[in-house]
Amino acid sequence: MAMLPEHLLLGGIVLLIVMAVLGRGARSALWVALGAVVASCTAAFWLSNAQFAAEPFAGQFSVTPAVLMAKGALLALAVPVLLMSRTEFSDGEFSILLLSSLYGLCLLPSSDSFLVMFLGLEMLAMPVYALVLLAFRRPQSAESAFKYLVLSGAASATFLMGVSLLYGATGSMSVSAFGPALAAGDIMTRTAVVLVLLALFLKAAVVPFHAWAPDTYEGASIPVTAYMATLTKGAVLLAAVRLFSGVNASRPVVDLLMVLPLLSIVWGNLAAIKQQSFRRMIAYSSIAHAGYLFYAFLGDSAGRMQSVLFYVIAYSVTNLLAFAVMPQNDTDDQRDSLDALKGLYHRNPFAAAMIAIAMLSLAGLPPFPGFAAKFLIFKNVVAAGYTTYAVLGLVGSYLGIYFYLRVIQLLFMTASETTPGEKEAGGAARVAGVLCLVGTLVLAVLPGWVLGGM
Amino acid sequence: MSEFTMGPTLLNLVLWLPMVGVALVLLAARANDGLARAISVATMGVQFAVAAMLYLQFDATAPGLQFATQLPWIAQWGVSYLIGLDGFNILLVLLTAFLGPIVVLGAWTSIKKDVPLFHGMVLLLQFAMMGAFVAQDLFLFYLFWEAMLIPMFLIIGMWGGARRVYATLKFVLYTAFGSILMLAAVIYLVHTMQQSSGVLSFAFDDLYRAQLPLSVQTILLGAFALSFAIKVPMVPLHTWLPDAHVEAPTAGSVILAGVLLKMGTYGFMKLGFPLFPDAARAFTPILMTLAVISIVYGACLALVQTDIKKIIAYSSISHLGYVMLGLLSLELVGIQGAIIQMVSHGLVAAGLFLLVGMIYDRCHTRELAAYGGLARLLPVYSVFFMIFTLASVGLPTTSGFTGEFLALMGAFTAAWPAHLDGSNYPLVLAVVAVTGVVLGAMYMLRFALTFLFGEVKAPHHSPEHPLLDLSWREKSILGLLAVAVFALGLFPNGALQKTELAAKTYQSLVTTSRVPVGSPVSQAGVTP
Repeated sequence: MAMLPEHLLLGGIVLLIVMAVLGRGARSALWVALGAVVASCTAAFWLSNAQFAAEPFAGQFSVTPAVLMAKGALLALAVPVLLMSRTEFSDGEFSILLLSSLYGLCLLPSSDSFLVMFLGLEMLAMPVYALVLLAFRRPQSAESAFKYLVLSGAASATFLMGVSLLYGATGSMSVSAFGPALAAGDIMTRTAVVLVLLALFLKAAVVPFHAWAPDTYEGASIPVTAYMATLTKGAVLLAAVRLFSGVNASRPVVDLLMVLPLLSIVWGNLAAIKQQSFRRMIAYSSIAHAGYLFYAFLGDSAGRMQSVLFYVIAYSVTNLLAFAVMPQNDTDDQRDSLDALKGLYHRNPFAAAMIAIAMLSLAGLPPFPGFAAKFLIFKNVVAAGYTTYAVLGLVGSYLGIYFYLRVIQLLFMTASETTPGEKEAGGAARVAGVLCLVGTLVLAVLPGWVLGGM
Repeated sequence: MSEFTMGPTLLNLVLWLPMVGVALVLLAARANDGLARAISVATMGVQFAVAAMLYLQFDATAPGLQFATQLPWIAQWGVSYLIGLDGFNILLVLLTAFLGPIVVLGAWTSIKKDVPLFHGMVLLLQFAMMGAFVAQDLFLFYLFWEAMLIPMFLIIGMWGGARRVYATLKFVLYTAFGSILMLAAVIYLVHTMQQSSGVLSFAFDDLYRAQLPLSVQTILLGAFALSFAIKVPMVPLHTWLPDAHVEAPTAGSVILAGVLLKMGTYGFMKLGFPLFPDAARAFTPILMTLAVISIVYGACLALVQTDIKKIIAYSSISHLGYVMLGLLSLELVGIQGAIIQMVSHGLVAAGLFLLVGMIYDRCHTRELAAYGGLARLLPVYSVFFMIFTLASVGLPTTSGFTGEFLALMGAFTAAWPAHLDGSNYPLVLAVVAVTGVVLGAMYMLRFALTFLFGEVKAPHHSPEHPLLDLSWREKSILGLLAVAVFALGLFPNGALQKTELAAKTYQSLVTTSRVPVGSPVSQAGVTP
């Protein structure tokens, strides 16, 4: 019962594998996967609504209504990703891999021990290596997948090293040992804490551990990039929330939590200005957003889950919106180039408007949900007394406005260039776009209602 | 009290009508462009009618908000949907609604491409501006304040002149920088108020009661003032304005000069000074100096421009300096003068930009030197031009006179006691500000002289294809504006009555100290 969302995902995976083995229903694989994700997501929301809390594996895995809500929200975000994949991936492989990754994602916010958390992180990342490679029509994909594999492996190793040191210092594998360890003074515990944090930074692409993200995002196909930029990042952040639960940031960790995210915001926003490829730009934007997300950890622990989750949802919904309506193109160079967006408004006003809304929301301009999410995070940071850092972070976010506006400028204010082979996004992807638009509007108009549900 | 129970509904209607218009324009986007224009002007017309009805029903003697609506919105953060009319915003709401149809009619033939999108954006901008004026909740105000950027960004960037992209990016990046610091200040202000008094609210009325030490007030006012001063704009933060004005299409310039610039002064009047009264009084000399510099420097720059749009752009900087001067005088007459001057500038600048746009549509150049003797070619045009020029100069019987005169009188009234106490600085400032009136006459009359009189020359004019004088559409919008200019100049009493209570409220808010009792002045500031 407590693992109902996970079980439903597992059922979907098994069904998909059986279908693949029997060699039938390649076309219906997507719908089976979609059914599994929707069922799992509904289950999570339903359990959360019923205030369900349980600990099926004591000390390893537990659920609370808030955790179930987070799972449900992330699973709901997987729906547009699946829909988007329809144009590029017609066989079942994509669905199997994505569902496996989602399974890992579901483990993270529930994990009570470092072992389960490690399991979750690996299950989250492993299928993504393969997913990046799935678009093997282009040579960069291999490079991307390899980079991701190596860097993610390094992150896992760092994480394990930190965990073993922590185990050595405290004799416990429970994640609740992490909180007290933050304040500990001895060199071993401190090293352990720093290593674990660095592993999370690496996974979430925080400066200076960010260099893999642009290359990987660029090489992957659109749905996979969208998945990496939104859901995997969100899952890592939820794991971090789990680690920090019940603890307010205090010295000396605060410095690490303040400086690197701030650098991330500034550098991500500055580097994005120069990018010529849409996906590289989104990668740098996601580096900046990782910075805002880690800012949430300066805030008090009570509101942290809410602010991180709200931010992840708002950020992901708008990012997915942009990816879903992105016009398709036969050649990769053209598809990826920002120039392909030139004058899109004149060719496809709907797509241009959606991308513009997404960019404005990512830039954090009201009334779009990105603003409310940013407001919540910085409100908590100010409430925790770190006003100066909040101001610095906000000024850093100002640096980002330029490149988001540049996209709008390309969409609306440049002459249209007819690019050969450009097609509108596929039907399923457009459905995904409409779903994301609805989500964006709900978040923009009724943020109070959404927050009340968290 | 009036038995006017429909009021709140009507005010919501005034606010949301443009959004209805946006929806209709989107639906009609596939049909012909004429439909989009018609929907747009109809929506704006109804909006003005409703706003005028509210203006007439507005009770000048009742304190507090009228026609208010309050609904909880984001309860967790203390944010509510709170809108209402008071003496602060009643005239500006009316001005915004009045300029709406004029903007649309003014752009009737000059906007030829992407017409539905253009009208969608104008309506969206109208919605955001109206929202910023009627919002009585700081969060809501900030949303509308920022939401104004996006449609304006597109209006300048898509339908503007040659350097439109540069101008529009400059406009947005300038304004957004002010806003981001204001956001930090908003968060800090609300948080501090919640900690000290336990009230979690963004409502202006609650925030007016927040007690803050002077050091905190200073920093917060600095953040708010930066944002507002960019919008006004006050020298030295004005450099975005000439670019934006010159590159914007006529409709964009009219909205920018007519309403958007008033956001800045309205922000000072409604938020900046009353929220942080002690810091405001401490900063009065600096801000007043900047206001006077804006008046004189803006006028001097206007004097040497060769681009006709730039002359009016710089004159805006000068004229809004009077508004700041009046607000800072803290004298009842000065404050009321400031409010009148805001409306007056909205009308006059709108008229002048429309006139410049009309001649640009005919001759396709903005070079002053290319024109001459238009009075003989375009007599009707020239009459209107003269009316608005004289209103801009501040000729008695026009609205420009009422505003400038009252604002300057406020400055002198405030300066005299200070002079008797031995402080001459305010008096010197007031005297320097008066020279702005003379400079104003100089640049506007120089403009009119070369433009309307002398040797007849105009590009694209030839005996076979003479320039066409104003059409009925153009005559009627200019006529409406001219009527409003004279109405405000000859009968300012109605408007003054409606705003008197607000001016008194402002005066008492800013002159009452709100430093917490017993707190050391040098209490730790914003840094943790």
